[in-house]
Amino acid sequence: MSGGITVLRAGPLATIQDAGRFGMLRYGIAASGPMVRSAFAVAGTLLGGRAGAAIEFTRTGLDFRAEGEVEAAFSGGAFNLSVNGEARDWNSALQLAAGDLVRVAPGVWGNYGYVRFGREIAVPLLLGSRATNSTVGLGGFGGRALVTGDRVPFGDAPEQGGAEGGGSAAPSDAPVRVVWGLHADLFPGAMRQLFVDKPFEISTRLDRMGVRLARGETFPQAGILSLVSDAVVPGDIQILGDGTPIVLMRDHQPTGGYPRIATVISADLDRFAQMRPGSLVRFEPVTLTHALAAGRAAR
Amino acid sequence: MSEPLMLPTIVPLGDRALLVRFGTNLGERANRAAVAFARRLDDAAPEGIEEIDPNLVSVLLRYDPDRTDPARLAGELRLMLSLAEEEPETPGRTHAIAVHFGGEDGPDLDTAAEALGMSPSQFVAAHNAAPLRVLTTGFAPGFVYCGFHPKTLNLPRRTDVRGRVPAGTVLFAAGQTAITATPIPTGWHVIGRTDFINFVPDQSPPTILAEGDLIAFSEAGR
Repeated sequence: MSGGITVLRAGPLATIQDAGRFGMLRYGIAASGPMVRSAFAVAGTLLGGRAGAAIEFTRTGLDFRAEGEVEAAFSGGAFNLSVNGEARDWNSALQLAAGDLVRVAPGVWGNYGYVRFGREIAVPLLLGSRATNSTVGLGGFGGRALVTGDRVPFGDAPEQGGAEGGGSAAPSDAPVRVVWGLHADLFPGAMRQLFVDKPFEISTRLDRMGVRLARGETFPQAGILSLVSDAVVPGDIQILGDGTPIVLMRDHQPTGGYPRIATVISADLDRFAQMRPGSLVRFEPVTLTHALAAGRAAR
Repeated sequence: MSEPLMLPTIVPLGDRALLVRFGTNLGERANRAAVAFARRLDDAAPEGIEEIDPNLVSVLLRYDPDRTDPARLAGELRLMLSLAEEEPETPGRTHAIAVHFGGEDGPDLDTAAEALGMSPSQFVAAHNAAPLRVLTTGFAPGFVYCGFHPKTLNLPRRTDVRGRVPAGTVLFAAGQTAITATPIPTGWHVIGRTDFINFVPDQSPPTILAEGDLIAFSEAGR
């Protein structure tokens, strides 16, 4: 029953995530869960479906020491993995022995990576989930990101969950597909055209709540719109009063009062989440039918 | 209750959710219609619905695209809506909530009262005169919107945003009173504080107040 890992180095915002805390929007709580759901699933599949919650880490990686024998699987963007100084394949499962030093170092692409274990991470279930919502300080490791020195304990082996699927969020120049959003009709046609004609740049202001976009010239203001707050879903692109678009991510506020021009389709949200600051993103509007077909293809 | 009720519209929100909107402006009839529709869905949700989330004037439905599709779901929802009469909402529970008005707990009380042409004590009396209905929770964990005050108590939000106010802060703007349950920044007028916290994360459900409940505000003893 003992076992766990000790965090030797945590980049910013390494958090414990499971599939997410669903069903809580009406109480004011976003689902959270992995920023890159496909990578989280790949790590689970590498463990034959018998995988617990993940530690999600950001671009700078994660170093830890295993405090007992445990199976671990790694996936996500490109990272460099080593155990006791010996290079190992990324996107792989391996057996760790007590005292093994695991180093996950930054690689060439991606913002997020995952390690899942053949044991459940022994943090309390909060409202049915182990996911951390660091925006509101809820769940996971006391509602906060992991820091150096944290000892993350393991509990029992997780239940057999079956294959979780996968799919790749590998980088590509393909546009990120969107369906027009809740307030698209409030934006003049010329502004919608501008939204799809020219790429935006992923800014350095990105976190689990949202990704701010930048452009040499600012996206024109949507005007003063007085909107009643409505529900928000991950992928919604809202335009702030100064014209800045923000793509809302897994720790989004449950409701929003800014106009939303479009929503990133489910099939492309993982790839978008992995885009690093400075990269360019173009949005391509598609029909809902197209979005659903793309979603089926990605599952 | 006098504003016209628009025909409900069903709008996709991405490819895994639909939003049923009963209005584009905040009004009591639209809010009551949304609350009533959410309750009917809670009782008998169409196949494939994963989550029902009532908002101020709309209801969000997250669906599993492997079990239904938006066209089929929208059809079922339209049928439910067409069969619905505008029925009186079942009255919710009434909660008594005591508030420490003004002072350090409510730094904007005096200016809000003055802007409405009242003394602070007149404002508190008018604020507490009638119970308010819970319009929705959301925005932040346990955050609750209550309405509506009469037009004489209608004041826009502040022009600047305050940094985080603590849980239990009582806010006032736009004909409503809101109560925070977690620390959040706010552009509303801070008029008081209550010991009542509408968020208990280790309980399910984690909130105590529900849409349609009534809140009787009173002034807490000093």
